[in-house]
Amino acid sequence: MNLLNFDSRQCERTRRQMDAYLSNELLVETTDEMLRHLENCEACSRELQSRMRIREALQRAAARQPLPEGLGEALHQRLKKAHRRPFWASGGPTWALAVAVAAMLAIVLVGGRQWSNLEHARQMVHNILTLGVSDHLHCAIRGHNYPEVANSPEVLRKKLGPQYAELLPVVEKKLPGFQVLEAHICTVPGSPRKYVHFIARGKGTILSVILTEREGKALPQGRLVAASSFGNVNFYEKQLEGMSVAGFQVGGYFGFVVSDLSQHEMGQLAEGLAPALQTALKTEGNQASQSGGLAPSRTTS
Amino acid sequence: MPHLAALYRSAKFLVHNAAEAEDLVQDVYLEALKSFHRFEPGTNCKAWLFRILFHRLHHLRRRLLKSSLEDAFTDQDSVAAEPPVPQEIKDEDVLAALDKVPLAFREIVLMADVEEFSYKEIAEALKLPLGTVMSRLSRGRKLLREGLSEVAKSYGIGTSANDATGEELA
Repeated sequence: MNLLNFDSRQCERTRRQMDAYLSNELLVETTDEMLRHLENCEACSRELQSRMRIREALQRAAARQPLPEGLGEALHQRLKKAHRRPFWASGGPTWALAVAVAAMLAIVLVGGRQWSNLEHARQMVHNILTLGVSDHLHCAIRGHNYPEVANSPEVLRKKLGPQYAELLPVVEKKLPGFQVLEAHICTVPGSPRKYVHFIARGKGTILSVILTEREGKALPQGRLVAASSFGNVNFYEKQLEGMSVAGFQVGGYFGFVVSDLSQHEMGQLAEGLAPALQTALKTEGNQASQSGGLAPSRTTS
Repeated sequence: MPHLAALYRSAKFLVHNAAEAEDLVQDVYLEALKSFHRFEPGTNCKAWLFRILFHRLHHLRRRLLKSSLEDAFTDQDSVAAEPPVPQEIKDEDVLAALDKVPLAFREIVLMADVEEFSYKEIAEALKLPLGTVMSRLSRGRKLLREGLSEVAKSYGIGTSANDATGEELA
């Protein structure tokens, strides 16, 4: 190994710092000092160029590496299969364990015959709560469809239209600590489903209150899968895609409260909102079909 | 699928085998799906996926990783003469050189130079102290450079006959 003859300590320092410089990890002052040296030192500046050339070549070569055909598709299939696997085999989150424990108890208490009903109900809850979470993620989080400064109540009422304008004060009142920034009617691409969407900010995050038409679907009425029940309304809670969601059924709608706050908090807000929304939807009349939280018969075979 | 290309690329450079890389990447997403509740929204999703990738990789390669560290640190030079770097660097040359860099260094070079993670993110993903990340990156880049100059040398003059895709050549 032949050591180069550096004419100054500065060169040695510069070489030592070059790695951090390349990774943009040097302090501003140190960078300045280094750049000043590079201006006057041809050897060091050549050396830096060499290192940059390798780095760029590596980035370029890596970017040109082809992805194997069908990798995305294969992965998709595997993920889908994994998703369909029974939840107790997935090493899933604690709520799954809680549900599993509840389910085991249910078997002991009500017998195996009820088991498939329960499992079916659980799946239904999952599917319906997923609607709320995906609407929240799609419109509020990824779409960022809300202003930094809240729209005025007049604007929001207009956006909601006469049918839903009266829900605005209800939602505002029942979300203590939150400010409603935006309210509108959302459509789901590729589906006839529409939903009323309130986006609020508070407690350092964004929260959605969503009312979506039930289209004949219903949350199961069994108390075993519900997190709580209040009046004649059952509440369902879940963690999905990093979000907490609480869902309930009012009139012809499913209601959801979604955010990344705690599940408990979503449940509490939902319990406050549901009766008020139910009343408001009833006086609104026509749309809220009289079923008032009572579901049509279950579709279990 | 977010970051699929980046993960696959890194996996392939780390395990040298397309099929194994595919499996590894699929495992990463499965694991991510299972432990999604542990992901903190607002944090770097790519870094999180890489953390899972390395966790799995190290599980598979524990022994290899150790031996690769032992033989790469024998030569502790600080500011030795750097071998010359060819003016134009071909893809296959730099990839061949990368292949020869021991795993423990290769993974850090990939994260820092290809995926452009910060030192802190690398340290977290690999569960290493920051100083170790810095010294291994430095060493890894140096090994890559030495490999590159050797590959270039091995061509001799005129170079390979089967080099039809020499777009890198001036």
